[in-house]
Amino acid sequence: MRNSLIALLIFAALAAAPPVIGGYWTGQLTGYLVYGLLAISLSLVWGYGGILCFGQAMFFGIGGYIMAVITKGMVLPDITSSYLGLIAAMAGAALFALALGYFLFAGRGISGAYLAIITLAIALVLERLMNNWYGLGGYNGLLNVPPIKLTFFGASFELWDRVPTFYAILIVVAVIFFGTTALLNSAYGLRLTACRTHPDRLASLGYSVLNIRLSVFSLSAAIAGLAGALFVTLDGFASPTLIGFTLSTEALIWVAIGGKEMLLAAFLGAILTRTAESWLSEIFGDYWILILGIAFMISVVLLPKGLLATPLEKLTEGKRR
Amino acid sequence: MSFLELKSLTKNFGGLCAVDGFSLDIAKGSVNALVGPNGCGKSTLFNLITGTIRPDSGEVLFAGVNITGRPPHEIARLGIGRKFQVPAIFDELTVRENLIVASRKQNDRTAQADILAQIHLEDQADTLAGELAHGQKQWLEIGLLLAQAPALILLDEPTAGMTAPETRATAELIHRINRDRGLTVLVIEHDMGFIEHLACPVHVMSKGKILKSGNFSEIRNDADVKALYFGTAEETVDA
Repeated sequence: MRNSLIALLIFAALAAAPPVIGGYWTGQLTGYLVYGLLAISLSLVWGYGGILCFGQAMFFGIGGYIMAVITKGMVLPDITSSYLGLIAAMAGAALFALALGYFLFAGRGISGAYLAIITLAIALVLERLMNNWYGLGGYNGLLNVPPIKLTFFGASFELWDRVPTFYAILIVVAVIFFGTTALLNSAYGLRLTACRTHPDRLASLGYSVLNIRLSVFSLSAAIAGLAGALFVTLDGFASPTLIGFTLSTEALIWVAIGGKEMLLAAFLGAILTRTAESWLSEIFGDYWILILGIAFMISVVLLPKGLLATPLEKLTEGKRR
Repeated sequence: MSFLELKSLTKNFGGLCAVDGFSLDIAKGSVNALVGPNGCGKSTLFNLITGTIRPDSGEVLFAGVNITGRPPHEIARLGIGRKFQVPAIFDELTVRENLIVASRKQNDRTAQADILAQIHLEDQADTLAGELAHGQKQWLEIGLLLAQAPALILLDEPTAGMTAPETRATAELIHRINRDRGLTVLVIEHDMGFIEHLACPVHVMSKGKILKSGNFSEIRNDADVKALYFGTAEETVDA
């Protein structure tokens, strides 16, 4: 409840931002919201599900490519619905996660550093695959991905302008954020925590640990796939960089800096890190990476719960008393 | 009629035979204790019953159903609950949330309140389980089993690390749940004082097999059991 209040305030502040920050930054912030969605997906699977996925961008990239091929009419020339693209992107990423997850978690299961290394390797393989898949643009990727086309009751509206696009994306992100929060506050959330902390105990109470892990892995992949699908409509192209190593590790850094065990902190971690990157890279150039690295080390060594989660938790505890 | 039937279970780890042709019948509604020195295969036996590991040979029959080699969650759903040796609870959840997770089928608040009273944790319902004292953790784990509502519970050293009064209270609790809920109970234990309080059939396990079965006084006065626990008579005299 207290967390939700703070989250509501933050989403209200985001909604009020465009007139204040102007057109250019509104455009930038829209992209950061999408990265924030990717961070939410990673926080769900890593912070709550206890599955350290080092290749979260693979789901982002799969979602992005599916959205691109559908809305460009490469699958069926007559069916280029944005809605269908978004749904297919989520479903495709979730199904891929389901299949991959089955191999990772069935039997004794793989966990910890091994899981991280394997997921990283798969992300690298997919990146190479997309680099060489000429039907999907190869190294250059797919260009001219159309913007999202909203259709209701026969009327349709294309999201070309920055401000309407910002609000459309903000609404999607808010729905996913509060939906995921509600899910985590339900009995399912308790089971996830139980599964993360003591899977053997949970199994001996009659729960299938495999099913719980598959469910959270796929759900997280669906959210990442949605983020990827939204992302390609903003920039207008889908390229192999969406799927691979760099974005995967960047997402891990946002989530670690923000706080992996708190959706809101992970979400803000992505937005603030990206914002800081825009500002600081102008001032310091490439040395910005050094600052990011130091922030990452501080969060890992001194504040393992995250730079943002720690003060946010203080704030919510203060309200409780 | 036997409720849990173990038929010549065998499990080897490398060259070590942890459980060696072990057979035991347990009647419905009974309380049984399994004692034996460290490394005699007691915990391995529990792992074989609950499906955590597969036996090399032999069978486990539960209520007439062959459950050998089934995955742990399926065996748990059939009605076997297990208390681990080290308290296995969900540290990051509160006591109440632990019970909610354990009551998989229905989230019944009155039943949970009832369990909280039985395990003496009413005042700690909203405390994080990780912050409980050791003995309270052991009780919470028994509470998880009650919420799971199985027909058979396996308790692996339920009084490890408990004070003498806590140990007595635990023996009473086990008797109460056996009587009131009709649960069949199989306990592994080191603490002879606790076994005496339980006043139930005792099976002594040594080197993966049953050495002796009987009631507490028979077992305590048995020469073979004494030798197992205290060394042979000559050695005792020397010491």
